[in-house]
Amino acid sequence: MKKTKIKINGLNFFYQQKAILKKLEGEFEERAITTIMGPSGIGKSTFLMVLNRLYESIPNCRVEGKVELKLDGRYIDIHKLPLTTLRKKVGMVFQIPNPLPMSVFKNVAFPLKLSGIKDGRVIEEKVEKALKNAFLWDEVKDRLNDSALQLSGGQQQRLCIARAMIIEPHVLLLDEPTSSLDMEAALKIGELLEDLKQKCTLIIVSHYMDLTKRISDRVLTLKDGRLEIS
Amino acid sequence: MNRPVEYTITFFAWISGIILVAAIGMLISFLLYKGIPSLNLSLVFGETSPLDALLIRKEVVDGLFPAIVGTTLLVLTSVILAIPVGVACGIYLAEYCKTRWKPLYNFFIDVLAGIPSILVGLFGFALSVFLHKHLSEHIYPCFLISSLALACLVLPYIIRTTEQSLGNLPFSIKTTALSLGASRLQNILFVLIPHNLSGIISGIILAIGRCAEDTAVIMLTGVVAMAGIPHSLLSQYEALPFYIFHVSSSYNSQMELMKGFGASIILLAICICLFTISNILKRMAANRFATRT
Repeated sequence: MKKTKIKINGLNFFYQQKAILKKLEGEFEERAITTIMGPSGIGKSTFLMVLNRLYESIPNCRVEGKVELKLDGRYIDIHKLPLTTLRKKVGMVFQIPNPLPMSVFKNVAFPLKLSGIKDGRVIEEKVEKALKNAFLWDEVKDRLNDSALQLSGGQQQRLCIARAMIIEPHVLLLDEPTSSLDMEAALKIGELLEDLKQKCTLIIVSHYMDLTKRISDRVLTLKDGRLEIS
Repeated sequence: MNRPVEYTITFFAWISGIILVAAIGMLISFLLYKGIPSLNLSLVFGETSPLDALLIRKEVVDGLFPAIVGTTLLVLTSVILAIPVGVACGIYLAEYCKTRWKPLYNFFIDVLAGIPSILVGLFGFALSVFLHKHLSEHIYPCFLISSLALACLVLPYIIRTTEQSLGNLPFSIKTTALSLGASRLQNILFVLIPHNLSGIISGIILAIGRCAEDTAVIMLTGVVAMAGIPHSLLSQYEALPFYIFHVSSSYNSQMELMKGFGASIILLAICICLFTISNILKRMAANRFATRT
């Protein structure tokens, strides 16, 4: 039986006094793919930003309610966790691939640099593993020192997933990860996500019904600020 | 919008551009026409041999060399003093300042940007009097006071360009490192500043121009005629803008006025050199970050 990784109780989200999410309730299973669907502008991306508190980078936002993350067997309110710790546990991949303008290798190794890991051999091993896990190693192993901006859109998105996964987050949030890609690249990402499910909890916001239904364990719909099981 | 209005606006836009280019062209042509005949080694080094002057073995008493050195050092010192404070303040406003405090800070920065330079000079003079009275009797209006006053004058340019270029970065870039667990400081140091380096350098280029041209500030804070090359931060010094002002307002002969035009061309050349160096740095910064391996 699957265990719950994230619990949400009475979550309200306000932007400039306007309620975007209203009394949201829900649970997200461990090592499963949950997809959130809903019309544009309903607050799906906002919901993801609440889960890793990225909304705190936007002025005039306010959150009420409780979001609990299971860490070491107990549930902890994410607002009580240090921000950097939370974001290392709850990674995020954005709609438009956002590699930093540096080499492929440095991009993937960037979170390790942030964590203060300096051992070159450890970094090389972890980068290789992350790229292999993202099904990208074979395509970039000879171009590790090339700029990541030279990769195709699909490769850039897989690079971003590898970068997010290198610090082994417990939860990975993906905000429409395939919407800016062609069908072939989207299918590859789908395959990758199915594989990643073994390693962490995935919460995806997506418009791709076919792909989403095929890979998701559960599909939720965000409607009128509330989550409903589809 | 109807066609005649559109044509009229386009016409005025073209004319404005042409007037701007023509005005700059005329100004530079006039300076070159008047100044080139007086440009020679004796204008710069006077009776002293150029090698002796460059190696500072002999003092140049009747040439512009001390003013050239004074101006270059003054611009560099002022900008070096202003950069850390200006960039830090720009980062604070863009990344840390709470929304409700921003208008207050912006108001003070606008006030600082709008203060006439003569008042900044007066502040520098008052500061030197205060330091002379309360800290050391050896402090008078000097190179350091001028540099500090000029640094205050150019701070708003550096603050504004840093703040605006940081503020204009897309949300996805601003949050990339944050979403990977970076602290705010790590995000600023590893992502935002490198991304923003060419914007920051643009502010520095503006500051260089302002420092090089300002006469009012330095007149009250330490520039004098015939001071020679400044040997310490507390020395008085010579500067080209002051020389140009002094010659053009009280010349005794046509030849002396021609020297003023020569000095103007040299000042222009110094500015072009500093702008070029800054632009090369800016391009290098942009390229380095775009293709960084």
